[in-house]
Amino acid sequence: MEKIKANATKVDFQKIFPFLGLAAVLIFFGIFSGGRLFTAQNMKAILNDGLYIIVGASGYAFLFAMGILDFSIGANMAVSCAVACLAAKVNPWLALPAALLTGMLISGILGLVHVKAHVDAFITTLAGQFILNGLVLIVLDNSVQQAPLEMLKWFTLPLKLMILIGCLGAGYMMLEHGVYGKTGKLIGSCPEAARQTGINVGRYKLTAFVIMGALVGLLGFVSLIRTGTASSKTGSTLMMNVLNAALLGGLPMSGGPTTKFRGVIVGSLTMAFLTSGMTIMGYNVNTQQIVKGLIFLIAISISFDRKNMKVIK
Amino acid sequence: MEQEKLLLKVEDMYKSFGITKALKGVSLSLRRGQILGLIGENGSGKSTLTSIVAAIQKADAGKIYLEGELCEFQNSVEANEKGVCMILQEKGTFDALTVAKNIFVGKESMFCKGGVLNNRAMNEAAQKALNAVGADYIKAAAPLASLNFEDRKLVEVARAMYLNPKILIIDETTTALSRNGRDILYQIMKRMKGEGRSVIFISHDIDELMEVCDTLTILRDGVYIDTLEKEQFDAALVRRLMVGREVSEDYYRSDTQSCKNEEVVLRMEHVTAKELKDVSFELHRGEILGFGGLADCGMHILGSVAYGNMEPDLGKVTAGDGTPIRSPKEAMNRRIAYISKNRDQESLMVASSIRDNICSASYAKLAKGPFIWEKAQNEFVDKWAGVLEVKMQGPGQYVMELSGGNKQKVALAKWLGFGADIFILDCPTRGIDIGVKSNIYALMQELRSQNKSIILISEELPEVIGMSDRTIILKDGRISGEFVREQNLTETMLIDYMV
Ligand SMILES: Nc1ncnc2c1ncn2[C@@H]1O[C@H](COP(=O)(O)OP(=O)(O)OP(=O)(O)O)[C@@H](O)[C@H]1O
Ligand SMILES: [Mg+2]
Repeated sequence: MEKIKANATKVDFQKIFPFLGLAAVLIFFGIFSGGRLFTAQNMKAILNDGLYIIVGASGYAFLFAMGILDFSIGANMAVSCAVACLAAKVNPWLALPAALLTGMLISGILGLVHVKAHVDAFITTLAGQFILNGLVLIVLDNSVQQAPLEMLKWFTLPLKLMILIGCLGAGYMMLEHGVYGKTGKLIGSCPEAARQTGINVGRYKLTAFVIMGALVGLLGFVSLIRTGTASSKTGSTLMMNVLNAALLGGLPMSGGPTTKFRGVIVGSLTMAFLTSGMTIMGYNVNTQQIVKGLIFLIAISISFDRKNMKVIK
Repeated sequence: MEQEKLLLKVEDMYKSFGITKALKGVSLSLRRGQILGLIGENGSGKSTLTSIVAAIQKADAGKIYLEGELCEFQNSVEANEKGVCMILQEKGTFDALTVAKNIFVGKESMFCKGGVLNNRAMNEAAQKALNAVGADYIKAAAPLASLNFEDRKLVEVARAMYLNPKILIIDETTTALSRNGRDILYQIMKRMKGEGRSVIFISHDIDELMEVCDTLTILRDGVYIDTLEKEQFDAALVRRLMVGREVSEDYYRSDTQSCKNEEVVLRMEHVTAKELKDVSFELHRGEILGFGGLADCGMHILGSVAYGNMEPDLGKVTAGDGTPIRSPKEAMNRRIAYISKNRDQESLMVASSIRDNICSASYAKLAKGPFIWEKAQNEFVDKWAGVLEVKMQGPGQYVMELSGGNKQKVALAKWLGFGADIFILDCPTRGIDIGVKSNIYALMQELRSQNKSIILISEELPEVIGMSDRTIILKDGRISGEFVREQNLTETMLIDYMV
């Protein structure tokens, strides 16, 4: 009971917390970068970085809603990008379908293992990450592969905006108003009660994995046409960025009804500005990784979890 | 002199949750060696009041005196140390731990030597605690998840009693217990009384309260109404004080006709599953079929199997037209609904809103294409929460904030809204006050008159007899007797078949 009350105030805090985080990042880097954070030049960079985070987080929200954590998305993106690169060498037009299919296949298999073999999602996807880290080296033949140069021209502003708006629109509608998203939240709220309400929990979870896979595949393709190369380093920051975005957006780790798409957007923006801000300030990727790791730790410790209290009541 | 005997005094307690005023200036006193019964409708503030005494939550205003001293416990651990223990209404145990670890949760350091937990010592101490309350058949080393609902409650009892409390608060625990479990509790209460310690006992069963309590305090809508001494006890008076108006006692069906319809809507054939052994029966259209027996006779599993929730080892369940029922989904396709005895874990998503819960079974109906709009949902909730008169702040309120009776109404509203033709109700009136109880009975009769069928599983024999067209008694997993309504059944007639 006591916990419930603490929770009630926590829920209100949960609503404003993401915005506080974003404001803090904007103010901090706005001042310390001497305003460089907001130049048109930098906005373009933020769009490029933010694209990955927002697309990733949009898919991640559905997994999150059901209480699933997926640690394989970065490695999956690397493999999808590598396969897309090989396909592009045959014919550039094959790159996108190859990337999407690879992403969906990998996530689908991991999802199946989780759902059918009842292995914890956390374990499954962590194992998946290790396996994929090895797989990408094999696909790339231990080197960096070059895509046909003409593909670099595909990476245009309209394409970026289309992907961005498409993901945001579809993600918002599905999570907040869609049967799919609402059902997912019910599953996160109480899987057993959801099952007894006739919901095929396994199928919903599997679908969420496949959607995540498709988006990761898309990101693999985007990365290919942006950099023109596929390497084992591709997507190495995706996992941490997306997970942090979800946590900073106030999404509860155990899923359920308080998973809000608003949180996805705010959290993603926070991470995009944070990354860009640190780049402007001259922090290299390694330092950034340390900072993000710390943020992850902090975000986890204050993450909002209704489930924790349920047992105690 | 009076002061000497007074153990606990609560003065002018206030507590609000948002706009809900749960307690409005309640006062209470408890003597040494007194068993105080607390009764009131669902949501009248019984749990709130007692959990404040046990320092599980804090009051907005009001004072608590323990043995004449003003006390301000910071948390329930401190209250435990000062001798106030509470057995919660809701499940208060951890599935993932063993029985022993549940008993000593938070006190593991007692068994630590040099940072290593001595499991053996802990198990032995836990077994002693279990034996002391007469639950020696529960093994301390067993994982909690392997116990049934009733035994989990007994583990909580053992946990509370191990602390040797001066005041034991028992919040609606007996409804979760069978005869054996209840006797254990009554024994404990008697012993405590003899030792000059006190008990606050919450229940919706007026007969039970009148039998075991010395005094009865009645709450209504967060207000203290009256306290009756043993010689003033009178069931009709208690009911009137509780509800605020005259309520009749006979809220069961008054007719003695049984259902004559021969059309079968659900059929169970030779089912063996867990405790159940080779059980077959047919449910007819427009029939209320009651199942009774002892807690472990298998009737709860029967409900679960009939809903396709649990696959039987042998045998099968089919709908009237012969389609098999092997999953909740298939059951719902045949318009079957099920409310588990373990309502809060299985039939409701307590962390979700009332809206989400009531709509959850009807998404297919409410959806426009792949979307569901708020408006359609709210209309749906208004309608069905209205039919059942759910007391709530609004459709967005979380189910976990509701009192027991209102939770049950939400579960019923979900399936009424779904439009089920067959209802499998496992202990539908557990922890529910007489007002709501009679509503539920009336609802069952209405459903019956609409030619819907009901399987009623209950440990309360009068309820089974009072409502059913046909009563089946289970014993050790087998059907031991079947009775139609016309036979003028009495409880004593059936008990022979149960034990
Ligand atoms: N955490 C909470 N948040 C909001 N409202 C609450 C909360 N806890 C209790 N309430 C409300 O306070 C009132 C009193 O609840 P309480 O649980 O004390 O009732 P009760 O007498 O124990 O009922 P029951 O017989 O159903 O157990 C109810 O209206 C309930 O909805
Ligand atoms: Mg209560």
